[in-house]
Amino acid sequence: MSFRRFLIKRTAIAALLTLIAVSIIFATLRMLPADPFSGLVASGALTPEQVAEVRAMYGLDEPIYVQYVKYIQNLFTFNFGVSLTQQRPVSEIITPALLNTLVLLLPALVVTAIISSLAGMYAGWNRGSWFEQSSIVATTVFRSVPNFVTGIFLLIIFSYGLGWLPAFGMRSPLANPSGYLDTYLSWNFLKHYTLPFTVTVLYYSGDFLMLARNSVVERMGSEFLMLHRAKGLSEMEQLGRAGRNSLLPLVTYFALRTGMLFQGVVTLEVVFAWPGIGRALVQAILNQDYPTVQAAVFIMAVAVIVMNLVADVAYAKLDPTVDAGDV
Amino acid sequence: MSGYTIDTETAKERLSSEYDRAKRTMRFVLEDNAAKAGFAVLVLFGFLGVFGPYLAPFHPIEDTLQQGGSTMRLQSPGGKAILGTTSYGKDILSQFLVGARPTLIVGLFGGVGAGVMGFLVGLTSGYFGGRVDEFLMRLTDLTFALPFLPMALVILSFVTPNIWLITAVLVVFLWKMPARVIRSEVMTVKERTFVKSARARGAGHMRTMFLHVAPNVLGIGFLYTAYAVGWSIVAGASLAFLGFGDPTTTSWGRMLEQVFRSGSIRTAWWWVLPPALGIAAVTTSVFLVGRAFEELVNPDLQTEQE
Amino acid sequence: MSLLEVNNLKITYQTAEEDVHAVNDVSFSIGEQDNYGLVGESGCGKSTIAKTILGLLDDNGEVEAGSVRFKDRDLVDLSEKEWQDVRWEEIAYIPQSAMDSLDPVMTVGSQIRQAIRKHRDDSKSKADERVAEVFEIVGLDPARTSDYPHEFSGGMRQRVTIAMALALDPDLIIADEPTTGLDVIVQDKIINKLLEIQDEVDSSMLLITHDVGVVAETCDEVSVLYGGKVMEQGATYDVFKHPTNPYTMGLQNSFPEVDEFDKQAISIPGSLPELTEEPTGCVFRNRCPFSTEECADGHPPLIANGGQMSACYHHDEAEDMREAATDAETWGIDVAEDRETSGDTGDVILETTDLEKWFKQTQSIMDSFRGAEPDYVKAVNGVDLTVREGEILGVAGESGCGKSTLGEVIAALQPRTGGDIQIDGTSVDDLLAESTKKFRSQVQFIFQDPFDSLNPRQRVKDAVAEPLKIQGHDKETIDRRVRETISDVGLNPPEKYLDRRPAQLSGGERQRVAIAQALVLEPKLLICDEPASMLDVSLKANILNILREMADKRDIGIVYISHDLASLTQIANRLAVMYLGEVIEIGKTREVVRNSKHPYAASLLAASPKTDPSIDRQRVLLPGEPPNPVNLPEGCNFAPRCPKASEECRKADPDRSAFKDGNHEAACYLPVEDVEDELLSSYARQERPEIQSGEEETIEQLGEEA
Repeated sequence: MSFRRFLIKRTAIAALLTLIAVSIIFATLRMLPADPFSGLVASGALTPEQVAEVRAMYGLDEPIYVQYVKYIQNLFTFNFGVSLTQQRPVSEIITPALLNTLVLLLPALVVTAIISSLAGMYAGWNRGSWFEQSSIVATTVFRSVPNFVTGIFLLIIFSYGLGWLPAFGMRSPLANPSGYLDTYLSWNFLKHYTLPFTVTVLYYSGDFLMLARNSVVERMGSEFLMLHRAKGLSEMEQLGRAGRNSLLPLVTYFALRTGMLFQGVVTLEVVFAWPGIGRALVQAILNQDYPTVQAAVFIMAVAVIVMNLVADVAYAKLDPTVDAGDV
Repeated sequence: MSGYTIDTETAKERLSSEYDRAKRTMRFVLEDNAAKAGFAVLVLFGFLGVFGPYLAPFHPIEDTLQQGGSTMRLQSPGGKAILGTTSYGKDILSQFLVGARPTLIVGLFGGVGAGVMGFLVGLTSGYFGGRVDEFLMRLTDLTFALPFLPMALVILSFVTPNIWLITAVLVVFLWKMPARVIRSEVMTVKERTFVKSARARGAGHMRTMFLHVAPNVLGIGFLYTAYAVGWSIVAGASLAFLGFGDPTTTSWGRMLEQVFRSGSIRTAWWWVLPPALGIAAVTTSVFLVGRAFEELVNPDLQTEQE
Repeated sequence: MSLLEVNNLKITYQTAEEDVHAVNDVSFSIGEQDNYGLVGESGCGKSTIAKTILGLLDDNGEVEAGSVRFKDRDLVDLSEKEWQDVRWEEIAYIPQSAMDSLDPVMTVGSQIRQAIRKHRDDSKSKADERVAEVFEIVGLDPARTSDYPHEFSGGMRQRVTIAMALALDPDLIIADEPTTGLDVIVQDKIINKLLEIQDEVDSSMLLITHDVGVVAETCDEVSVLYGGKVMEQGATYDVFKHPTNPYTMGLQNSFPEVDEFDKQAISIPGSLPELTEEPTGCVFRNRCPFSTEECADGHPPLIANGGQMSACYHHDEAEDMREAATDAETWGIDVAEDRETSGDTGDVILETTDLEKWFKQTQSIMDSFRGAEPDYVKAVNGVDLTVREGEILGVAGESGCGKSTLGEVIAALQPRTGGDIQIDGTSVDDLLAESTKKFRSQVQFIFQDPFDSLNPRQRVKDAVAEPLKIQGHDKETIDRRVRETISDVGLNPPEKYLDRRPAQLSGGERQRVAIAQALVLEPKLLICDEPASMLDVSLKANILNILREMADKRDIGIVYISHDLASLTQIANRLAVMYLGEVIEIGKTREVVRNSKHPYAASLLAASPKTDPSIDRQRVLLPGEPPNPVNLPEGCNFAPRCPKASEECRKADPDRSAFKDGNHEAACYLPVEDVEDELLSSYARQERPEIQSGEEETIEQLGEEA
């Protein structure tokens, strides 16, 4: 199969998956027994007539298939509508939250991918060593404990116990930064950043370490490393080759992990009151603010699907021995 | 269609030999110190899950501890409340002991359900290949794409959560991982000569699939079931922590939610530590035992010849 | 002055349960510019010795005693740092499996360059010059240095590793089974290249192999190893012309010449020794037909006998033993009656007419929209065969010729895409429509890989009983037939084996169990796909004899597929030779071998190395490799490589009956009269670098079904 054909096929599948995913999201939300306005009627805040008016405003009185078509159209033009509870466009709520999440997670993921992979390669090369055993046990602990529990431990120790670092939010309540530079490059921000960043780095370290370690172990008995050794390469040069040969699964995994990022941070953001997309989502669910929920879930789903595609393509492109069709 | 059934005698013999193998495997896994410790924790956890409620000195929700006529609020450990009290004057030790059971139920049933479902999907997908495989794998892609926690939150926000519903939701979202891994393993085993040989000897698909392919991926299946138990515990605790747990029962995740929401997390370390350590110890133990097991069943890690 | 001297080397591997004494007291020496051979079966310690000389012994292996002196320094005690300077600079290595030995994510050129720059301070461009140079020496196109290993065929990859070994002009090259796994013609070309290069550069070579023929044709001196011991040592000519050690004789028996038709296949009974203890007697005594009580008194010392040394207490009876060793009965094998007379005319059990198996290639989306005719790989293309009861039909051919696909299609393990198959006069479609079970009870299959052909979770009795259970026999019948069959395949007494698991069986025993699984249903037709190719040579003949016996006694028709021509000529009544999906020659084995008419069949049959060192064989330097099976040439498939090809050959594909003499048919317009003159010498003249597309696509690996 040619690479182009492969790419076309994969993209088509990704598009189809996205469509199905958003349809499921739509269906799930429409299955809800009530919308927030019915609640308002019950509490007597609005008359049924007023509710009907509001419903018409949000297009909720139209037949379900019309709503569906409009919903799909809007999603693919990134028009997420207006929040039911905050009276402003959903995009105004989502965009800064998304940015905050990315600022927290991407650097953390990159850092942990690099450090943990290198450590994992070293551990695999020295199979059975003290370093291997302890690094595996340590990272296994970090990846198995839920990140909000790790977060709580760190909070108790460093915020409430020692009082070194702030516990909540992205900046002090009084700080009122202007512009991105001021927002993300201040001492105040850094202090708030440290704990959630650390938790993320620790949490994802285990997967990369084990993956790198296993790939290197897998290659250790291989004939080609034997030939490298017979050529007179030093230990570190051999490890370099083993590492280079293990790179592919790591890159693929990094792409997949990036796609899953938004999903994994809901609890973490809640613990640290980080104003990211996960926290926005939880609040929207609690407030039954469905346009916002739809938008946030849509972004999460698209991230996974797109990064899946990227991983597949990276795999086909990076491995000289893989014919694109085999993927 | 040539789906010959499996005779009971063969099945019985197979099961007994698998049991012997499991015993040997267990012995090997427990040579690993970390796994040994993990195993001990899991045994203790299982014990708490079964007998915890009977050991609790007080009812975790109904009994409010009193001292000198006033409610014991946020009492640090000591006296009547060995592990202290909550801000409502409930006994933390009792909550901890009782809270093990829902955690165990969600973890065990969610994990085993996801493991079994993933195993069957992976086996079918990998064995038959072609269109069946394409369909099932796109289905797993879909469950990967739908974000688990948000979707679960949405569903649980309009249905009153109870422990079995939560377990079911976990199974629906967690079967994908075992399915993918089992599938790729099955695809390797399927190409091995003895599988082709079984077909050539006249074995039908069912027989080949369950007697020849399945036993040889069973190890990986167990491994990912164990991991799924771990993920279930984490997921169940996360849901409870976000306030979407079963409101009628006390679980460790819910204890954390309460201490966090009440703001007592700043001071009441005795309230935070038991559930946090409980969750951390159990999930870690599952993965430590699983990892030692993985060294045994992951064929890629076997560098030495048999 | 010798370059390498190995003295009293003892190597032990430590495993979890016990120690394995892999090498016991081995000594030999290699002179400058010498070719030295270490020959023996798996487990004899030959690879362990090679690894020790390179300092690449596994971590659990330990040199217990002895020395390895190379240019007057002892290599055993070198530090890892010192080793790094010795390796490649002075001792280079050609690995066993070139398939896995090249770094898959590094271009071949940079792998060689890396070796050069590790040891020399050369600039990148200077190193590249050298890379291009060695590429040319081994007959590879220097333009391909920036290709990745997977873009080369197996034979070319082996050339790459040879080029790599030459890069620094080492004093010693260790070649570990350099041609194992290659097709015979490719092997012949590689060996020719190795010897040619050696004439030009002045390095010594240590060749490690199990193949007596390869050693006999390439080495000046040889050590025959068994169970970690040297059994016989000396000039290759002496050792293989007049062996004085019973093991050498047995090993030689395992490599019959292609044209030895009348000989019964002879194997050495028993199996390889477990080396968990240091040998207390002669390591070979349990399998040796000449052993006496004396042989238990410690392993015999190497004693000079004529030109060579032999470790045998009975070395003075060498001549008598030599004579007895050629007789199958000496080795405990019942001699079957002469098969030529045992009647070859049963009823026809298998008949294929114009059988086709085409694999569709995926095409671009645009092409499939346009409805363009897709490309096909014609793995099996118009094959007509018949097999009679009690007859063995041999199918020969190189890897990728479609012979395995042919077997699986006949056994309905893969659907065919054209033509017809009749089993006992009934079409396969009708049989299958009636009942798959019934079809399976008539047609059975034996697979290549004995180590993987049994389910590791199944005991022997369950494995053999399974086909009967599927057929729905009652328990008593099953028990009885399982026992009978296990005994029939030579696993006696059956009780000993019934409860074993595959892991507790040797390779030979496993393959017998696999054969029992196939025979227990008493099929009429048995298809064997290389059933002996992964077994140690001394055990191979067992399998052949069982199959021969089954054909004779039970009147089963057998299709025996193999690349090993010698075993084919030993077992087959008739022989078919395949090339690119077509049977290009077929006839009585004797006629096809002695009097091959198709140039390809003739080349193939001439390419096997001879174990008799006194024969000087013209090598088969057939140019090129089989073309890409997707775009086959017009006309005869072999025409582009054939020195005899005429205009006609390039235009029209010859029918199989183009040459016909009784039952002997060949698809050739210009049948061969004299192999040497017409083919081999003209190959030798036109030998040139291989500069064609490196796409190697073996048919079995390809594409979706049509």
